[in-house]
Amino acid sequence: MTPALNVTKMSKSFAGPRVLDGVSLSIEPGEIRALVGENGSGKSTLIKILAGFHLPDEGSAEVDGQPLRLGDGTSSEGLGLRFVHQDLGLVNNLDAVDNLALGVGYSSFRGGIRWRQERKRARKALADLGYHFDVRRTVDRLAMSERTALAVARAMGPRATPPKVLILDEPTANLPAAEAQRLFQLARRVADSGVAVVFVSHHFDEVFGLAQSVTVLRDGQHVITRPVAGLTEDGLIELVIGRQLEQVQHDAKAAERRAVVLEAAGLGCGVLDNVDFAVHAGEIVGVAGITGSGRDEIARALFGGLDRTGEVTVNGAAVPKLRPDKAMAMGMGLVPAERHANAAFMTSTLRENITVVRPGTHWRGGILRKSAERSDVARWLERLDVRPRKPEFTMADLSGGNQQKVVLARWLRLEPKVLVLDEPTQGVDVGAKSDIHTLIDEAAAQGTAVLVASTDHEELVRLCHRVLVMRRGRIAEEISGGRMDHDVITAATIGRDQADAA
Amino acid sequence: MTVDKQTTEPGVEREAGGPPAPTQRKITAVLGLDRFSGLYVWAVLILIFSLWVPDLFLTANNARIIAGSQAITAMVAMGLIVPVACGAFDLSIAGTLGVSVCTVIWFQANHHGWALGIVVALLVGLAVGLVNAFIVVRLHVDSFIGTLGMSSILLAGTEWITGGGQIANGVSATFTGIGQNQVWGLPLPVFYMVALAIVLWWLLEYTPIGRYLYGIGGNPQAARLAGIRVGRVTTGAFLLSGLVAAFSGVVLAAQLGSASPDVGGPFLLPAFSAVFLGATQVFPGRVNVPGTLIAIFLLATGVKGLQLAGAPSYINDLFNGAALIIAVALAARAYASQRKA
Repeated sequence: MTPALNVTKMSKSFAGPRVLDGVSLSIEPGEIRALVGENGSGKSTLIKILAGFHLPDEGSAEVDGQPLRLGDGTSSEGLGLRFVHQDLGLVNNLDAVDNLALGVGYSSFRGGIRWRQERKRARKALADLGYHFDVRRTVDRLAMSERTALAVARAMGPRATPPKVLILDEPTANLPAAEAQRLFQLARRVADSGVAVVFVSHHFDEVFGLAQSVTVLRDGQHVITRPVAGLTEDGLIELVIGRQLEQVQHDAKAAERRAVVLEAAGLGCGVLDNVDFAVHAGEIVGVAGITGSGRDEIARALFGGLDRTGEVTVNGAAVPKLRPDKAMAMGMGLVPAERHANAAFMTSTLRENITVVRPGTHWRGGILRKSAERSDVARWLERLDVRPRKPEFTMADLSGGNQQKVVLARWLRLEPKVLVLDEPTQGVDVGAKSDIHTLIDEAAAQGTAVLVASTDHEELVRLCHRVLVMRRGRIAEEISGGRMDHDVITAATIGRDQADAA
Repeated sequence: MTVDKQTTEPGVEREAGGPPAPTQRKITAVLGLDRFSGLYVWAVLILIFSLWVPDLFLTANNARIIAGSQAITAMVAMGLIVPVACGAFDLSIAGTLGVSVCTVIWFQANHHGWALGIVVALLVGLAVGLVNAFIVVRLHVDSFIGTLGMSSILLAGTEWITGGGQIANGVSATFTGIGQNQVWGLPLPVFYMVALAIVLWWLLEYTPIGRYLYGIGGNPQAARLAGIRVGRVTTGAFLLSGLVAAFSGVVLAAQLGSASPDVGGPFLLPAFSAVFLGATQVFPGRVNVPGTLIAIFLLATGVKGLQLAGAPSYINDLFNGAALIIAVALAARAYASQRKA
């Protein structure tokens, strides 16, 4: 039988090391193949090459025996490759009918859209996938699994050639468990119609629940392709990280236990479900987890940036929800993820960026004393080694690492009792990263309770006394002491849920 | 392999340490060309018209006329700065001004006294601000749309108060003195304008509230996560712009001594032009009080000079519009090239 997709010796580098290094694989029609690997293992590069977005350095690919013209998106579509990307690519304020028509167009009669026929067609396309909902509802009013179904329906929809391979890039990252199950049924329906399904996932329980075979990539190289049957979860984890789990281990920082400062009880927010934890004075607690595990929400839920349920207390006093000002007044500080969107005032000066929290400290006699403020800010810029050390430069004049230091200085200036950091070194160069780690250590040494949510597991090992590992909205594991290790954390984030195993 | 995605942000990931465009920045900074270009243009305009129409332009009386006639526009514009600083438009300022004029005159025409009229007019201004804030903050209506609707409602209000025509009877001479008397050869409204400018300059530059306003305008999400009460500050901004517009209305009523339903409308566009033109001055990139004043008097000088030199009356609107577009386009260009460096 001709394979639905055949990739031969695909390589690609972006100014430096090879991110994809001679990868070959082959998938039969009707097969469901899981594609797994750590972040940076080359999965997305491979998919983007197949989509015609990147041009590979070498290698070739055939779809159903037809050679794919690489670097040409129309060729990949013309041969029957269909993609559903993680963000789904739907337009939120349009309904299902309009979204299905994006890029394809509507059927029309004398210049007018034949709405009745379009709606009928949309309903049928979704019914084929096992979904029945009002096609006139806009996307933002659909459940996550319904949106995913819509994106799949669009990918599978009528084009010049019938679909041969459907590639789903982390389609369950944002799905609650129950909705993920519906998506599995959908993927099986697609496969039953003879289309090969490639399924990128970090959820290993999904790999075992859905896929017939699995391809593992590591550091841009093809490690193995094998049937899922006969593979254990630990075995797969070892294939992904390339080492035995118990191999490398070093001791986590030991912490003397002091009083509890930050406590969360029954915390719920988005996928976060009834989470309890406490952070002690002088302690640095890490939060690890894949996208959609609840790691993304935890920092903003604590500070009040997102709506939440449950209790959050600082030194025993309850912090009201959705009130960052109250959280701040009670001694909490937040360095949020995605600096540009959530923390930086790009056109304001470094002075204003730092003193924007509590500018009143330099308010005397009814006037903000700018010279006092400037020298205060200059001291902080010096302490954090921000370059250039100019309080009147605007934020946009600085590199990413220096901007992040300014955001950190903003909160350190207030000497918070609790410092919550979300991806504190995102988009930050190596030198600044190490500086930021030192500053976090110093804050903890002075008694601040620190919570760090991060996808950088080396960072968590470097900083934390213990790490809470999130899976599906709950704390699945706590890693500390001798088990504190990058691979152990990685394995724990992608491990099977205890509840699912039972 | 770690999960270290070194996201590169174009234009931001450049070498730290070097100030942007060093040489060019230095020369223009010494002359203040980057921050005070408006003052230079103003000086050039004064020079041109002094040579062109010396006997008409370069007189104390002409300076007095320009200052007096622009005081109201300047006050409305300065009130507008506050919501614009926090990223909200208030298109209802002209409507509030109109309602205020009509209210204070109506009170006198109906023998309720001018003092009560002033109090009620100011309260109406605050009420309009409060409703605007409710629409924008609570109902999450875009401020442009919300205040546009409000300005239409206020226009209806002026029609209702005046009965569609002019009211001019019963206006007290004491009251008109508020707008028409002179001190040191300058009409009183000029002094109100200066006082208001000082208060708002202090508010925006030397109080925490000013920081919050600019913070919200720069990045509302970051402002919220920095513990700023975005809704509350925005509400305050609308209250203030409503109050200032109402106060300007009282002064305008005193200047005119009469009220008509269409009195507010002509102030809207000049006020907005001045605020945005002003954002290219003094503190480039942010709306500010001195920049707005420079913009107002620059435009007024240009228009008056052209009128004295015999230009037709439509030159006013033409000059205002063209100056706004050119100035803001130049500022945008300068900003873009600075970012590219």
